[in-house]
Amino acid sequence: MTFSLIGRCTRTGRLGLGITTYSLAVGGRCEGVAANVGVCKTQAFPNRTNDPLGIKLLAQGYLPAEVMNKFATNDTEHSYRQIAIMDRDGKIAAHTGPGCRGWAGHKEAADCVAFGNGLLGPQVLDGMIAGFLENPGDALEYRLMRAIEGGRDAGGQGPADAHRTERSAAIKVVDRRDFPDVDVRVDVHETAVEELRRVLEEFKLYEEFYRGRDTDPSKAIPQDVFVKQLDARRARA
Amino acid sequence: MTYTILGRCAKTGRVGIGIATFSITVGRYAHSSKSNAGVTVSQANANENNNAIALRLLAQGMGAAAVLQTLKDNDTYHSYRQIGVIDRTGAVAAYTGANVRGWAGEVSGPNFISTGNGLRGQHVVEAIAKGFLAEPDADLEHRLLLALEYGRDAGGQGNATTHRTERSAALQVSSHHIHPDIDLRVDLHDKAVDELRRVWGIYKQYETYYAERGRNPRSAMGQEAFIASMKAAE
Repeated sequence: MTFSLIGRCTRTGRLGLGITTYSLAVGGRCEGVAANVGVCKTQAFPNRTNDPLGIKLLAQGYLPAEVMNKFATNDTEHSYRQIAIMDRDGKIAAHTGPGCRGWAGHKEAADCVAFGNGLLGPQVLDGMIAGFLENPGDALEYRLMRAIEGGRDAGGQGPADAHRTERSAAIKVVDRRDFPDVDVRVDVHETAVEELRRVLEEFKLYEEFYRGRDTDPSKAIPQDVFVKQLDARRARA
Repeated sequence: MTYTILGRCAKTGRVGIGIATFSITVGRYAHSSKSNAGVTVSQANANENNNAIALRLLAQGMGAAAVLQTLKDNDTYHSYRQIGVIDRTGAVAAYTGANVRGWAGEVSGPNFISTGNGLRGQHVVEAIAKGFLAEPDADLEHRLLLALEYGRDAGGQGNATTHRTERSAALQVSSHHIHPDIDLRVDLHDKAVDELRRVWGIYKQYETYYAERGRNPRSAMGQEAFIASMKAAE
């Protein structure tokens, strides 16, 4: 039980992954988000070597479809995996093995691929895609957040008589730097999607401050001072 | 304001990091351990590129001291950074730049570095080291958590008059897999170290199930069935 969306911002070329699931700490199993390379995510019964391997293959120049072929060759249990791959140009390959449990599938749309298993039905993928496409001018992290929320609001995980809550969630966005621009997580929570929205909104308030400490620490104000300024802005709002 | 334990298990060669700070989403900086390479951190005014560079150099076989020197040479503002590196042999190198704010420094020994800035004092990093060394035969992730808890209990972050809570924390451990063994985070919380221990405690119950589910999907039970079996065993 998981629903995810890999997306690309056509304006900036940024790539990202939004994911939520019933399992715990899903953000700790998302190694396949690499700046200047692409995104690869294996779920359902995940083969943990796939994502690091996929990123290395993409970096060598293989197309997503060929990376998928290599996964099939390299894994006796490929039919139990659900995998989506997007390269830096937005090319996509996706696979939902017949061994994935519950309703499972994937769907491509403009600059994105939604994929999930153990879901209420295909409407969850449609909800994710609608969320992602809602405001194409927004920063990619917000579009990924809307995609996750769209999937949740379309019914999310479990059959109709046994809905399963999202217990963990994550968003990662990469640009040109060697580390993610945005990397927010919720590892154990009753309503992980709502909590991820809270973490993301808070992070966005600090993002520029943290970036500044990195690029020119000689001009950085102490965080205490920054937090006071932030609180004052909130009080005025 | 941050305190961190970098550690290596001398028995198994596993490496890992435990980190806690006033900043939110600190796990962004904790992608810092790598199998057959080592573990590193750059904090204070973190140069966010450092971890990726350091892990590549460690993977190529460079030792901790040479990696640290390279990071400094590569960074105009290194005097604002605090850096720790442990290589695959357990050799350590640590650095606190002169422009890092508040009380800042480190204690290190073979296989560990306790490092922090904006702390209540030297006793905090000493407590972190003591925590790491308290149960040397335990799993590395437990030792790293214990170190953070000792640091928290010794007063953690702030100055002589003010205490600052831990708002985020993270734990990452790598062994011989291409991916980390453990990668847990608390991004935004009032007591992030307490919450990290809670998250780890719950996750630990699922750890083997999650690993096995991927390796042997044919015989994997559903997660609900697994949870029911856990409850039945209690």
